[in-house]
Amino acid sequence: MILVQMMRWTSLLPVLIILSSLIPALLIFATPENAARRRTILNLGGIVIKLCLVLLMLLGVSQGLRFRFEVDFLPGASLVLQGDALSLQFVTLSSILWLATTIYAIGYLQKSQLKSRFFGYFSLCVSATVGIALSGNLITFLLFFELLTLATFPLVVHRGTDAALKAGRLYLVYTLAGGTLLLMGVALLHSITGTSDFVPGGYVSGAVEENRFALMAAFALMIVGLGVKAALFPLHGWLPRAMVAPAPVSALLHAVAVVKAGAFGIIRVVYDVFGVETGIALGLTPVLMLAAALTILYGSIQALRQTDIKRRLAFSTVSQVSYITLGVAMAGPTAAIGAVVHLVHQGLMKITLFFCAGNMAETLGIHRIQEMDGLGKRMPLTMSAFTVGALGMIGVPPIAGFFSKWYLGLGALESGNDAMLAVLIGSSILNAMYFMPLIYRGWFAQPPTAGWPEDNFKKSRFETHWMMLLPPLFTALLSLLAGIFAGSLASPLGWTEFIISQEFAL
Amino acid sequence: MNDALLSLVTPLVAALIVLTGPAMTPRRASVVVLLGSALSFVAALLALQSVTTSGATQTLNLGGWEDGLAIRLRLSPLSALLLAFTALIHLLAGLYARFSRFTSGDDFWVLSAFLHTALAALWLSADLFNLYITLELIGLAAVAMVALSGPKAYQAAADYLLLSLAASMIYLLGVVFLYSEYHTLDVIQLGTVSADSARTRLALALITAGLMLKGALWPLHLWLPAAHAGAPAAVSALLSAVVVKGPLFILWLAWTEVAPADLAREVGPMVATAGMIALVAGGWAAMRSPYIKVLVAYSTVAQLGYALMALGLLMSWQIPQMHIALWLFVIAHGLAKASLFMAAGEMQGTLGTRRLTGLRGATQTVPIAMFAFAVAGGSLIGLPPSGGFLAKWVLLEPILSQPQNWPWAFGILLGTLVSAAYIFRVVVLAFDRATINPPDTRPYLMGHWLALLPALIVWGMALLGEQLIGLLAGGGV
Repeated sequence: MILVQMMRWTSLLPVLIILSSLIPALLIFATPENAARRRTILNLGGIVIKLCLVLLMLLGVSQGLRFRFEVDFLPGASLVLQGDALSLQFVTLSSILWLATTIYAIGYLQKSQLKSRFFGYFSLCVSATVGIALSGNLITFLLFFELLTLATFPLVVHRGTDAALKAGRLYLVYTLAGGTLLLMGVALLHSITGTSDFVPGGYVSGAVEENRFALMAAFALMIVGLGVKAALFPLHGWLPRAMVAPAPVSALLHAVAVVKAGAFGIIRVVYDVFGVETGIALGLTPVLMLAAALTILYGSIQALRQTDIKRRLAFSTVSQVSYITLGVAMAGPTAAIGAVVHLVHQGLMKITLFFCAGNMAETLGIHRIQEMDGLGKRMPLTMSAFTVGALGMIGVPPIAGFFSKWYLGLGALESGNDAMLAVLIGSSILNAMYFMPLIYRGWFAQPPTAGWPEDNFKKSRFETHWMMLLPPLFTALLSLLAGIFAGSLASPLGWTEFIISQEFAL
Repeated sequence: MNDALLSLVTPLVAALIVLTGPAMTPRRASVVVLLGSALSFVAALLALQSVTTSGATQTLNLGGWEDGLAIRLRLSPLSALLLAFTALIHLLAGLYARFSRFTSGDDFWVLSAFLHTALAALWLSADLFNLYITLELIGLAAVAMVALSGPKAYQAAADYLLLSLAASMIYLLGVVFLYSEYHTLDVIQLGTVSADSARTRLALALITAGLMLKGALWPLHLWLPAAHAGAPAAVSALLSAVVVKGPLFILWLAWTEVAPADLAREVGPMVATAGMIALVAGGWAAMRSPYIKVLVAYSTVAQLGYALMALGLLMSWQIPQMHIALWLFVIAHGLAKASLFMAAGEMQGTLGTRRLTGLRGATQTVPIAMFAFAVAGGSLIGLPPSGGFLAKWVLLEPILSQPQNWPWAFGILLGTLVSAAYIFRVVVLAFDRATINPPDTRPYLMGHWLALLPALIVWGMALLGEQLIGLLAGGGV
């Protein structure tokens, strides 16, 4: 009897985690525009519930419990939600960053219109992301992947200006085409091997002999489809353009939702669908590695050429997210640790940077890099958070980013890809080149004598609205803590080692 | 079988009551017809239940005459499903027509009930002449319904009438050739005796041409946009959702049952190619159209391409999965298209323009109707987990399993992208906040919600995916 109860409990939990933001999303759509308090309660209530549920699942998984929910859908491919160690990594990241971003967005959007629509889609977007994380097979993954496209589009075009609509169109062209290719890949793979749950080591190895070509085609289709969202060169074109979206949306897009969904999908496809060994046997991982290395260098060089803060950050994302792909493609356990942990580390650091960029723009009207001169005097806390994020991106210890790069570098040597070590070092130098000027200007240059382009929130007790100040400080602190306590199981790195020990059966 | 007959007769009774009943105001007429549709829907579900539990196709010779002489009716799982589908669409369109602010004309009720009867008779017929009669009835009812829009639609209605009559004549000629060769028009008997001869080929060519013209299947689709876009929204919904599916059903009967299998195998690739072209050309036209309803109408041409493709591949490969895909497309498209036309009608009525550019800012001015449009459009694109996705998945599986068939998958890929292009063309406009087109009248929300209803049903189809596939897996007839 107790066993039945337990089984029910464990199969319901993944669904509840998705519903904890999906139901608030629907309720928020129905909330009148001026009922700000109701909307905030719905938003924050949903997050608190979700965080509790995620914590419960984390405890369960670390105790060895299995969470799995299944419902019939297509012949031979049901909808499966499951909570394993890898999915929890992503779920935890998105839930925590959702909390930070929601608070930030409430502060950011105080004076704008259509807030119910915005927050409705915002919650929907997080539901889709969590759904992607909890997907137990490719069909379910595909479903949430498309839902994510649809949920983020209204956020990208939220401002409704011509520029926003243009960016939105481009975003749709890229992501819908990518989604269609992914669908083709999934369907092709389904016709060869059927669709089973994600398993460490993959499930296609039996079909390699007979269907070599078809498997390679399926892999290519899926990686291209996922690569659009993961902003792999040359499929990254939508990302810098999508910067017209409001700052919280950019933060979410870059750190959690869209690009991470693509990267997470690549992790799933390589590790849990094809399996590292099959990937090597088919000669697929070197190609992927090359694409990732190219993207890393290309993104960094492009970032260097930008004069707009947000655009520089956008190209930095292009480059940094490909670290994940690179680590995956190097196909060794140590590199894998670097890849999977970077999923979290990059999220924490990049969201900090975007929050800070948003604060600068909203408070002082700063958009361009040269306008940052002397910012540290007017906004010391924002500038500090920005510095932590930027130094982390470069890979300065003890900030989280260092550990990603350390494991990636070790992994490159271990798997015999010495050239990749050069790519990593080169990219770190480029990172330093495009982030150090910002830090220097902020702290050491003289503030403009003519005053700031704008000066809002003068009456606030802090340097800007507290709801916009708290989130970047929180995420900057997290990226520091993730580095300092990297040795414990409760840190992203510790958890990642737990994941990889399962994937590689160490 | 009795349930199926009940499903056929109730709309007829409703129509007769409306015609002869005393003091029949449009409001009363609507209640009678809606009750008839609801009853017919329930009866069709019962028929579906009985035919799936017994597992066998049931036939009935009207009047007890022997085979060949009698009017033979046949109830298969497929025809029961189509009965239920037709009744559901009529119910949804009727509800919309009843509660929307934009009138569909007083005669809508009696005509839609007649149309419903004729369609039900078509699904149950198994005799080529009988099918001709139902086709004529459907055509006449449909033409009259297009004319409900008033004088501005008369031209479209007249063109539709002439083409429809011509198409029927061509079809009938083909039927006559078949009769002169085999001395029977019963589909089941024809299937056992038909052989590959010059006269059979000619007959089938004529039948196919007539039906393609009537069903607006590419390349004989040119009349459709004017007729479907000119009619009132509820009528457009019925026309696109069910009426064009009638000729498709006969075409399917002709090529899977009547035609000799070898001939079908030979012609199949041509049909599938036509479908592929329809997908792209129809989608392209939709993408370029400056009017809301014309865009939706061209999307019908494009979406019928999927069905045509499934039919062509069914003919050339003779595998049951294509049969499933074909009818899943028909049902998913019907529901989604009903929603699209209703939403388009509501939006253009409220915003006071037929032009696409009038939809600027529609997410703020008519949010629910716009949402309905987007949700229904998602199923047309085939986004999971909608009914359109289900159908596309079933169609893709056999195509992808053989590398030599991959070119067809490319066609589906193109079709998906084009559908996404024309749907999101509208959606992007609706998010414009800079130049909002203000509504002429205050949105009347009941109609908007009713437009959303079929779209929600088509996304709910995914929950019934396994059952629907199981139902159609028997091979239909």
